[in-house]
Order: sequence, then structure tokens, then C-alpha cells
Amino acid sequence: MLDIIRFSLSALCTLAGLFVLLSGIVGTFRFKYSLSRIHAGALFDTAGIVLMLLGVIIAWGFTLTSLKMLIIIGLLWLASPVSSHLIGRMEITINDELEKDMMVLDNEMVRHEKEGD
Amino acid sequence: MARIRNDYENSWWPRLLRWLETGSSALDDRMEEEMEATHEGHLLPSPEEIAAQEAKREERIQRKLSDELALYTHAHQWSRTKGAKLADWAYRILAVVICLAIIFLLLQTASFLPSFGSPDNPAHNEVSRRYIEKGMEETGAVNIVAGMILDYRAFDTLGESNVLFVAACSVLILLRLSSDKKDLSSVHQLEMEADDRMYEPKNDIILQKVSTLLVPIILLYGVYGVMNGHISPGGGFSGGAVMGAGLILYLNAFGFKKAQRFFTFPVFQAVSACALTFYALSKAYSFFTGANHLPSFISPGTPGNLFSAGLIPYLNIAVGLVVCCTMYAFYTHFRKGDM
Repeated sequence: MLDIIRFSLSALCTLAGLFVLLSGIVGTFRFKYSLSRIHAGALFDTAGIVLMLLGVIIAWGFTLTSLKMLIIIGLLWLASPVSSHLIGRMEITINDELEKDMMVLDNEMVRHEKEGD
Repeated sequence: MARIRNDYENSWWPRLLRWLETGSSALDDRMEEEMEATHEGHLLPSPEEIAAQEAKREERIQRKLSDELALYTHAHQWSRTKGAKLADWAYRILAVVICLAIIFLLLQTASFLPSFGSPDNPAHNEVSRRYIEKGMEETGAVNIVAGMILDYRAFDTLGESNVLFVAACSVLILLRLSSDKKDLSSVHQLEMEADDRMYEPKNDIILQKVSTLLVPIILLYGVYGVMNGHISPGGGFSGGAVMGAGLILYLNAFGFKKAQRFFTFPVFQAVSACALTFYALSKAYSFFTGANHLPSFISPGTPGNLFSAGLIPYLNIAVGLVVCCTMYAFYTHFRKGDM
């Protein structure tokens, strides 16, 4: 019984991870604007990796290898969002036609609008 | 009887004399005659004739131009419609044909390969057998790969480190901006660089907080990889690359001013040159004593200890330092042209 639960949990995690990776790939290649593409690409290193590695950890039990996998998850969760953030900030800095491409909510602008109300 | 010369003036001897005196040639004479003929024979054409000729010329030019335009538009239209379709088809067919040909060739080659893992393969000769059987005993390295690349084939690895060093040198030659020599071009270049870096996000608080956490871990991991190269997977090249990546992350987060406190161009020069020289000298010593069957103070030690395996850990450190410095130098020179 426990084995069945464990297997189904790990299979669920792996399938969800596969779905996230697939949607990430599709989004990276099919989205029109770079910020949307960054958003899709950031899915790989956060949700996709976590779900896949969680599936593996559940399937194999808690060993030293799974501890290393948890460390990998921690490292990626630290590093990947920061790199996405940097790329996005660079894009916002150098793209002059950003407002034409998509709606950008500037914090200052939002505050001004609220004050205006 | 001698021939009668009635044209003495144009016989060869007087012509030679004339040529010696004046240096004129027969060609000059003819040119003169033609020019005289035009001067005397033809009068200037009348304005009507000139106008008619001009009109004819104009008409001809117009005709040629329209012909050319028609040809061009035809070719253009053809290339836009029919030609584009043809090229598209040819591209598709060629792509498929070339892909199939390469697949066929590769499969054909693969079918001639010896079967995977069979003991009769040519790769399983006495060399690899000796590496596996006696590698640990002879070199003292638990990691057989480290024993191979830094002991049996250390000469090879010295060449690889030198390749990295030479690559770094050529990058320095090409990209280094001399800031002490204030000639015009380099000042201009420096200004361009400053312009280029104006847009770059600076003092990003998120990056700085994360890199205060990550940089020490990355550098420690690189040092671990280098120091344990003879015990576990890792070694100079991979550990050095990790250390270089950590340095680059630090540079990106905190800027050149803070990185220059510990890593400047003289440091790069000193570390690279010292590491390569140490590698070359120590390996020369070990090759010399080994080839001449002389006693040397290098001993394999107990396999598995941190300081064992003879020269391998020190050579790993040297290679790691060279790789780290080279990566950092590449990054800084491609980005700024200086360190």
C-alpha cells in the first residue's frame, strides 16, 4: 500500500514537472516579447526542476544523494530568479519601445494615478 | 646589280640615324598624319547635326534603360514569385537529401564499429588495462582520471594549460585598452566603453544580497574540487572554472572597484606565470628522475589522503589557478578591455 502511494506520488510529481518543462519550452519559443519569454524560461529552473527532482527523491527515498538534490534545488532557486530578474531589468533599461510592446506598470506611475484619484 | 633606291629617305640606315638623333618612332608619324587629316579634311559638324546626334543618343539610352528596367522587373518578379517557390522547393529537397545522406553515412560508419563493451575492442589494450590495474598503486591517486592526466600524461595537460594561457595572451593583445597611454584612439575607446556600460543595471540589491550568499559557497566549492581532484571527481580544470565563475559573479554584483582590491592585472600575470612555471619545473624534475631511474622525493603516499599522490594535488592547484585567472581575464577584457 505504502509503495503504491509512494509510486503514485512520484509519478504525479514527475508528470507535473514534465508538463511544466514542456510549457516552458513552448513559451520560450512561441511568446512574442522578451519579458514573456523570460517568464516562461524561468519556469524550467524553478518549478520544473523542483517537481522532477522531488519525483526522483520520493521514488528513491531519503539518502545522501537526495540531500544533494535538495542542495541543487536551493542553489537553483537562489540563482535562477536572480538571473531572470537581471535580464528583465536589462530589457526594460534598453528597450525604448517597451510601452508599445506590452503594458508596463511603473511603480511611480501607479502611485501618481492613485494620488490623482 | 644593286637595287635602285628611289626612296632613300625611308630606307633603314637613315631611319636608324633619325631614330638615334630624335628618338621618334613610326607610331608617332602615323598619329601625326591622322591628326592632320582630321584637321584638314572634316569641318566641325553643324548644330543641327549635333542636336540630331544627341537626340539619337538620348533615345538609345532611354531604350536601353527601359529594356534594362523590364529585364530587372521580370527577374525581380520571377525571383519573388516563381523563383522563390523554386528556391524553397530546392531548399527543402536539398535539406532532406543532405540529411538522409549524412544519416546514411553515419549509420554505415556505425555499423562498422566494434560492438559496445566487447573485450576484443581496440580500446581495451594493455594501456588502459595498466591504468586501471596499477594506476592507483603507481600514482597514488584514487581518481584514475586525475592519475592519467596529471601523471601518465602530464605533458599533455601542460600543453592544455599553455593553450589556455596563450589564448588569454591573445585576448589581452587584441582587447586590452592601455589606460596609461593617453593617445586619442584609446581615450575614444574608453569613452565608448563607458557609454556602453551606462545602461547596465548597477548596484542591483537583489543580485548583491544573493551573491553575498552564493559567492563564498561557489569559491569554496571550486577550491574543494581542485583540492580533491585526486580523490574524487573534479580536478584543476573544472574546479578552476567554478572559481572563475564565482569571481565573475562577484565582479558583476559589486563592480570593478571592489574586485580590483584583490584581483588586478599584475596579480593575474604573477599567478598565471608562477603556476605554469611551477607546473613545468616540477614535471620536468619528475620526468627527468623517472626516465633516468633516479631516486626522487616524490612518493605516491597513502591513496585517499588529501596530501598524497605525489605531485598531483599541487599540479591540480596550478592548473586550477591558471584556468580561474584565464576565465576572469577573458570576462573582464571582453567587457571592459581592462582589469
